Amino acid sequence: MTLSAFILWLRRYQGWVGLAGFLCTAAGLYLGLVASPPDYYQGDVMRIMYVHVPLAQMAMLGYGTLAGASLWYLWKRDPIVDNSAHAAAGLSAFFTAAALVTGSIWAKPTWNVWWSWDPRLVSFTIQLLILIGYLMLRKFIEEPDRQARFSAVLAITGVVNLVIVKFSVEWWRSLHQPASIKPDGISYAPDMLLPLMVTSIGFLFLFTYMLVLRTQLLYLRQLLDAKKGRLLSKAHL
Amino acid sequence: MIFFRTIGWILWKDLLSELRSRESISSMLFFALSVLLIFSFSFAMDREVIHKVIAGLMWVAFGFTAIIGLGRSFTVELQNDCLEALQISPVSKGAVYLGKLLANLLFILCVELLLLPLFVIFFNLDILEKVPVLLVIMVGGTLGLSAIGTLFSALTAQIRSREVMFPILLLPMAVPVFIGAVEATRAALIGQSIRPWIDLLAVFDLVFIVLSFWIIDFVLDN
Repeated sequence: MTLSAFILWLRRYQGWVGLAGFLCTAAGLYLGLVASPPDYYQGDVMRIMYVHVPLAQMAMLGYGTLAGASLWYLWKRDPIVDNSAHAAAGLSAFFTAAALVTGSIWAKPTWNVWWSWDPRLVSFTIQLLILIGYLMLRKFIEEPDRQARFSAVLAITGVVNLVIVKFSVEWWRSLHQPASIKPDGISYAPDMLLPLMVTSIGFLFLFTYMLVLRTQLLYLRQLLDAKKGRLLSKAHL
Repeated sequence: MIFFRTIGWILWKDLLSELRSRESISSMLFFALSVLLIFSFSFAMDREVIHKVIAGLMWVAFGFTAIIGLGRSFTVELQNDCLEALQISPVSKGAVYLGKLLANLLFILCVELLLLPLFVIFFNLDILEKVPVLLVIMVGGTLGLSAIGTLFSALTAQIRSREVMFPILLLPMAVPVFIGAVEATRAALIGQSIRPWIDLLAVFDLVFIVLSFWIIDFVLDN
């Protein structure tokens, strides 16, 4: 089964995927914010983890989808896969920004700073900048083929860069100060693991739902543009 | 064999047109001088402070200067449709990339070599015996900037608003180069081992030259 056929197949079940995402997220948030015990060290502050960690996971999954779809596009030149890459970039930019904001809110009461030069923070910030550049680049190219090709090149260069950024900042910090600020040890007691897992699975369904919807929207918009172009060229004749 | 001759011809063409017009090097140099002047009256009061921040200052100046030169690398080919000629000519696109990369590396290194003594004068530095080490770092850092910059120059030359998009795309990608180069320069100036940072720069340079060499086919495809 090709990737485009898979996307079309997924479309049939999109409503169920969305519903499952909504239910799982609601259940996970209830378990995390109400039913589970507060953290021994951090108290209720720690509950932001049940939102922050799934957001960060979706941000990385989004970039992974983008990189995978870009490679696939350069290989097979399948236009709907390019629409998926475009959709994944938008979603990943949103989740990356949300993860950075929630992380910052969590860092203030626990580390006593809004920001620290931690490998994950740096690589997430760079990821956000690359994604914004990616979305801007797409705006500045009209021809669909060239837009898809150039943005795929950018996405692949970006994923290689992110690996090096993470590795270099780890190196940088380890050389500078051995014990940098670390979050309090979260040992993932079963009471905490369950709500986190449920929320993550819910977010995964929601991500898939949004990805499929957005892919279709971008695909239809491209189709509309092509038809408009054909009508206009006929009108000129 | 034709592969290496293509690299040589592209390099020769760029050097010749630079020798005749002197546009790239002179614009980079003028820009760098203005930056240096602003730095010198912003920071020149305190010797202690200078020694802490000089590595960062040097690479901010080098980096932004490189952006001026790199952005021009492929936009000059737009005149007389030279870019299309490069795209349809039956040579390896990777060779075109490597030729352009070498030309950019040479231009930017020229400007950096002129800037280094000016840094010594403006900030009253004492770095004479560290010059060979600094040169190694400059080559490593500039190669990384040029590797990524040449690729994005080829890409943005073919789109709208290229002057805006080029730095927006380049700067986030160049973060590891800046980390490596600044830390290596700092280590060299205080007499520490620069080995880990030079390794980082070498890894980055190698990875990005190989990646760009492969991916440039999709950028210069017509």
